[in-house]
Amino acid sequence: MTDPQVLFSALRDAVLGGDDAAAGRLATQALAEGVPALEAIEQGLVPGIREAGRLWEEGEYFLPELVTAAQAMKAAMAVLRPALGPDDPASSLGRVVIGTVEGDIHDIGKTLVGTMLSASGFAVSDEGASVPVARFVARAREFGADLVCASALLTTTMPKQRELAAALKGSGLKAKFMVGGAPVSKGWADAIGADGYADNALAAVVVARELVGRGATG
Amino acid sequence: MVRPADLRELALARVVLLDGGLGSMLIAAGLEAGRAPEWWNLDHPERIEALHRAYLEAGSDVVHTNTFGGNPLRLAAGGLPGRCREVNSAAVEIARRACGGTGLVAGDVGPTGHMLPPLGGATVEQLQRAFREQAEALAEAGVDLISIETMSDLREALAAVEAARATGLAVHASMTFERRRRGVFTIMGDPLVPSLTALADAGADAVGCNCSVTSAEMATMVREAAPLVRVPLSAQPNAGQPRVTLEGVVYDASPVTFARDIAAMVEAGAAMVGGCCGTTPEFIRQARATLDAMAKR
Repeated sequence: MTDPQVLFSALRDAVLGGDDAAAGRLATQALAEGVPALEAIEQGLVPGIREAGRLWEEGEYFLPELVTAAQAMKAAMAVLRPALGPDDPASSLGRVVIGTVEGDIHDIGKTLVGTMLSASGFAVSDEGASVPVARFVARAREFGADLVCASALLTTTMPKQRELAAALKGSGLKAKFMVGGAPVSKGWADAIGADGYADNALAAVVVARELVGRGATG
Repeated sequence: MVRPADLRELALARVVLLDGGLGSMLIAAGLEAGRAPEWWNLDHPERIEALHRAYLEAGSDVVHTNTFGGNPLRLAAGGLPGRCREVNSAAVEIARRACGGTGLVAGDVGPTGHMLPPLGGATVEQLQRAFREQAEALAEAGVDLISIETMSDLREALAAVEAARATGLAVHASMTFERRRRGVFTIMGDPLVPSLTALADAGADAVGCNCSVTSAEMATMVREAAPLVRVPLSAQPNAGQPRVTLEGVVYDASPVTFARDIAAMVEAGAAMVGGCCGTTPEFIRQARATLDAMAKR
């Protein structure tokens, strides 16, 4: 039997190196050897993705490295999540509907946030790019969303975030609303009445956890 | 038309003043949020023509056609599938009409919006096919040169250069960089000088940086790149950082600050200068005055 610490460290490195095949394989091995899924997540995957985020902020990693790290984490989570107990905090942090607003075909930032949220334990429904306001609201209802995330990468499409904020308020849904995208700022988020704003994918996870009342730990 | 060697000669003989922002001006002129700007080549040609004229009157030597999203992949996403030739040809006709006998028409080519791995599933061949279709449409409609802009993935930029070169026209290729802790890179991690060198090696007749950064930051990029890049260098910064307020988008820089930084770029070796998002004919007018004053010195 492998020392769990060795497995954790290998999982961490698989995430950091963006190796989704290795991450999935190591997750399977961890479960086969009786390592609790939660420990594999908290001691292997989470430190890996945090380090990837740190390297990104440092300017060592760029978008491709960060995205492949998130993909590797997602691959391992797909193996580990079914093995989590119902009371494990990582089993589901909440349900998220995410998309880029109508008229905006930019996909990268939104997909990265979706991947990171999903990797962190949220159930994510990614609606893709150029999503009309009405579809955001309808999907939030169907999916039972705790959180709706809308990205806008163009200054021209940002007003759609404002429309969506109003539509969600008027819909009677309980879902919180978070916005992001290159031209978006905290000031804009406040001005349109959004509940949260994050300026990168890692911050988005932190803010999302706070918004669904599952902040801090993990 | 401008042959490849002519663009280099032109840019070496005197500083070429490009135009300023088009997309941001279209929004100011009433383009609906979310609507592809290329629609206006068909719906409101007179508005596009007026913008080109405003830039020419302000002193631009070159105007860019309203075809930044004019490749077939992006047109399809904007509700104009299968209309690449029609849209590009209309845009060139508008720019040509505005130019009359003076002023060069640059056929504008922007990213496809489709990502190569690991971010997306597009292939270089798909992007190349799209760029070829647009470049051919632009060339057929009679542009003087092709201007590739705002690329953040070197592989996509190279695919565009290859397609543009096949037309036999002069090619300008520009990418979007930002300063990170370890240097200047695109968001994909392509570094400044090696990327520009790769574009020149692939046959671009002029290369440069546009969008995203302020004119002050752009001047520092030119200082870094100019001594190391062997073809004419272009620089087209934004009008400061965009800030979005409930009243609309606000850009921080003034035309005067912009023109001062343009002078710094030229002194550092930029051969083609202009503006990107948020810049207006007033920015170009100030830049023209600055360039004319420098030429007299």
